This record gives sequence, C-alpha cells and structure tokens, in this order.
Amino acid sequence: MTLPDASLSHIHRADGSATYLQNGYSIIGGVNGPIEVGRRDELPEEATIDVIVRPAVGVGGTRERHLESIIHSTLQHVILIQNHPRTLIQVTLQVIRMPDSDTFNSKKRQFSSPLRILPSLLQTALLALLSASIPLSTTFTASLITVARGSNTVINPSPEDLQNARSTHVLAFSAEGDLLVAESQGEFEIGDWERVFEMGLHAARSGSENRKGADSDVVMLDDDQGGALRGLVQQKIEKDQKWKENIK
Amino acid sequence: MAASKPPSPAISPPSLSFPRATFAKLSPHPFLLAHLQPPTPPSANTTPPHRPNGRLPTQFRPPNLHTGSLTHASGSSVVRLGDTAVVCGIRAEILPASNVGCAYTCGGSDDDTEIQALGLLVPNVELSTGCSPAHLPGQPPSPLAQTLAARLQSLLYATNLIGADELRIMYVSPPADDAGEGGGAEEVKAWWTLYIDILFISLDGNPFDAAWASLLLALKDTRLPLAYWDPDLACVLCDDLVANAKRLRMRRWPVASTFAVYSAQERGSVGGDGAGKWILADPDAFEEGLCRESVTVVVDCEEAEGGGVKTRIVRLEKRGGGSAGKAEIKEVVEMATERWRVWRDVLKGNA
Repeated sequence: MTLPDASLSHIHRADGSATYLQNGYSIIGGVNGPIEVGRRDELPEEATIDVIVRPAVGVGGTRERHLESIIHSTLQHVILIQNHPRTLIQVTLQVIRMPDSDTFNSKKRQFSSPLRILPSLLQTALLALLSASIPLSTTFTASLITVARGSNTVINPSPEDLQNARSTHVLAFSAEGDLLVAESQGEFEIGDWERVFEMGLHAARSGSENRKGADSDVVMLDDDQGGALRGLVQQKIEKDQKWKENIK
Repeated sequence: MAASKPPSPAISPPSLSFPRATFAKLSPHPFLLAHLQPPTPPSANTTPPHRPNGRLPTQFRPPNLHTGSLTHASGSSVVRLGDTAVVCGIRAEILPASNVGCAYTCGGSDDDTEIQALGLLVPNVELSTGCSPAHLPGQPPSPLAQTLAARLQSLLYATNLIGADELRIMYVSPPADDAGEGGGAEEVKAWWTLYIDILFISLDGNPFDAAWASLLLALKDTRLPLAYWDPDLACVLCDDLVANAKRLRMRRWPVASTFAVYSAQERGSVGGDGAGKWILADPDAFEEGLCRESVTVVVDCEEAEGGGVKTRIVRLEKRGGGSAGKAEIKEVVEMATERWRVWRDVLKGNA
C-alpha cells in the first residue's frame, strides 16, 4: 500500500486546484466556480457541474466520457448545488503520469481497466473542490480493492496484485459511511463483494476516527490515506487563516 | 325560463383538481412519492403501492424480442422494453493479417487478449434519432451515448462472449510433396471484425439493459459466411452459399438489470435521516429524471442441482447517491437473479 501525496492551491489563476499522487498516478485538478453558465446548460434550481477528464496521452475518448459521468454524478451528490442556482462549477482533471504498467504498451493501455484511475480522479476532484471552498454536503474516500484468486482482498493493490486479481473494485464512502460509488471489473460472488465492502468501509471509517483525534489540537498525520490528506487540508487552512492570528 | 335550462357543457364550472398528467408535470417529486407511500392508516384490503406507470417497485417491463429483421446485416435484433425500443445490427468485415502488421502477433490460445488487442468487436450507440425529446436528432454523440458505448464495450471484452477462434480466418498450407508430408501448418490470414450498431428508436428509460439485450440477441443471430484464404489470388474469399455460413457460438448469457433508487428526502436537505427510499426496477424516463442514484448489476448464473442457481456477478455499477448500502445491493443482486430467469425463459422460447 502506497501513501498518497498531494499539494493544494498551487495554481494561482484557478479558483481551486490540487495535485494528487498515488500508486504511480499523478493528476492535476482545477476548479472554477461558481461562474456564469451558458444558457443551454443552465438549471433554474441548482448549479451545473461540468467535469472534464484529459488523459495523459492523446485526446479523450469514450473511456474518458464514462469516467466523467461517474465523477459527475458523484459530485452532484456531494456539492450543495442548490446553494448556487444558475451557475457553473467546472472541474478539470488532467492526468499527468500513469504507472509504468499502464504506459508500457500503448495497445495494452487501451484496454486496461479504466477503473484503476478512478479513485485518484475522485480524490483529486474532492481536494480541488476543497481548495476552491465550494460548499460540500460531505467528503468522501475512494479506494481501489482487488479480490485475488484465493479470495483474499487487497486494498490499494500493487501492479502485481492487479495482474493476479480475479476482480477489481472501486468503492467510495462518504464521511458518514454511505456507499457513494461502487464499480467493478471481473467476476465475483456476493460474498466476495461483502468482504470488499467491509474493507472499504473500514478504510473510510478509520480515517474519520482519526479526525476526532485531530480536533483536540494534535495534528495527527496517520499512515492511512484519509489521515494523510486531512493533514494536508489542515495545513492549507492554517496557512489561509494566518492573517487572523496577527489581528488578535 | 332561462334559469331552468340545463347548463351547456361549454360553460360547465371548471374542475378544481388537476388531471394526473398535469400533476406529474407540475410537481413530479410529490407525485411519485404519493404513489409509492403506503396508504395511511394502513388497511388490510388495499393494494400495495404502485408506481405511476402501474408497475410494482420491483417489477420489470416484460421483454419483447425479434431477430433477423434487417436483411442486409450479418445479424440483427429488435428489443422492446415497454416504450424503450432498440434495433441492433451487426456488420462483419474482414481484417487481413497483412494490415495488422507487427502490431500484434497471434498468441495462439490467448483468447481474451486477442479480441481486445485487435479491437474485433466495435459497439456504437446512436441516440440522436429523435428517440426522446432530450436527444435532438442531427447532433454529435451525446455524453450519454458515449458512456453507453464505453460501458458496452468494456462489458463485451470482460465477459468473453465469443471465442477468438470464431473470428479467425485460418489457412492450412497444403502438403509440400506428393507423399502428403510437410505443410499442414496453420496460419491466421485474417480476422472477422464485428461492427455492432445500436440504434434507439424510442427511449423511455433504462437504455443500458435494452442495448445489452439487443447486442446479445444480434450476436446470436449473426451468421458469418465461410471465408477462406486463396493462395493464388492472395486474398480472402467468401462463399456465396448460405448453407455454408456458420452461426456465432455464444459462450454465455449475462443479463443486465438496472435499478433506480428514489429517496423521499427533498433535494438539497442534508442529513435528515429516516426518510423513505425505494428501489425501482427497470426505471422509465419519468423515474430516471427524479432518481439521481442508480445501480446496474450484470449477472450470469449457473443452474445448480436442486433447481437453485449459483449467481456470479459480472459487473456492478452504482453511482449518484448514498442511499443504497450493503443490504440493498444484496437485495438488488437477488432481483437481478430473478430477472436472469425471465430472460433465460424468453431466450429459450426465441431459440
């Protein structure tokens, strides 16, 4: 299991931005919004969300449209879209680097499962939205889990795990523990999926318990995914709020 | 005298209630909720709540199938689920091995990667046919059409419906000498590429299930002419005789079932637990417009001894909300298994 790394608000001309690195993927995300929306896409009671995914190599195709639609419906649930009616919130995700296993053979890349990149894209979008201070109803943790031949589950698998996996799953849980996204590739039985569900939920939950610790003035940089990201967001907020301390 | 006249129908007092359709148009959310909520106070002799389209929440639309209606396609099918109607046509073209070049070297038994690496199955979805007011004709492929095509393609490759050997055009070199020795080496000279075009004639919700079913049926209906390599002309020739054409052999029949999750919680309110939620099988366009959350399960079952079935989940896709958790997914998989039985019976009748 590799730990993610991220940097926030490093692009100055976008309203919010984030770079996210995990498992050999490097993705840069930018958020602009709420901005004016074209009349065709305008919704009278809520904000329009536009997600653009650009691949590391070449131009986007149907795969990218599929990923965009998954991210779009997730963000639609997470962002408080009713707070900004008749506006546009645009999320652009540019893949900068893919792991070697994906780029090794361009033919192979074409049919390697699009799911592998989905957790990183979702996390990048969330961090960029946080950086842009877009009001959200909840946050989420996305993880990639594989079921190996012996029915044992692996979270954040290595390339070898992915090679040997019978099925690959992407799960995203909200901070309250609700299942937001579930996608799968490969065959499995309901028992396997329930184990995958428990594993993903545990990973998401352990993050939220650490947060309780972080509230008590102790910055906990845990070695789990949620904890590491939370530390980054906290650092960013502390930096943003520095001017207040001097006023006192 | 005038007062005793019966009032003419033209000036009858306006009714104070809306017709059903107006209510549905004006406030769709309360309309659907009023249908789904159980009557209060609960009484024993009332019917269970129905959806506005008259179905029970877990009831699917019965499929209506027809195959082989397009004469110029290698295989075709028409599938109707209520007001969703899809035509699928398959066109087979020959991909000569000389065109592939060094990009791919035939790995022999390495079935599943061969079809994917060469892209021998190419699905395309056309929604701009005037099938619904949301999709204008004459437009470039909408994001929905592209997403559907990507999902169908990835499912086609993941399920290994067709073996690569079905699509190979082989050449066995003749014996080199009179004694019949030497030669006999098999060589792939070309492959069949299947272009799968799916057209929506009418779209009333649940495009994926209908598209997948039409794709399966059209593949089953496909006949490929007998093709052989002619060493003198150095090209692939096809036999005219229909009797020599062979059907594609389908390895399996995975069935897709889509469910929409409707939660009574008003949009925009956060938290507020305790509001009801309903899982609606095979949603129509009206319900799809109101439900953000959807679950698609593709299952393939094996009949076990004792009449039971063993369910294998080929794909699970859930997005757009957090109402459906572990228990609901389990319930949905069970309903999908029931749906698989329905499709199996329909296909048996059709075969």
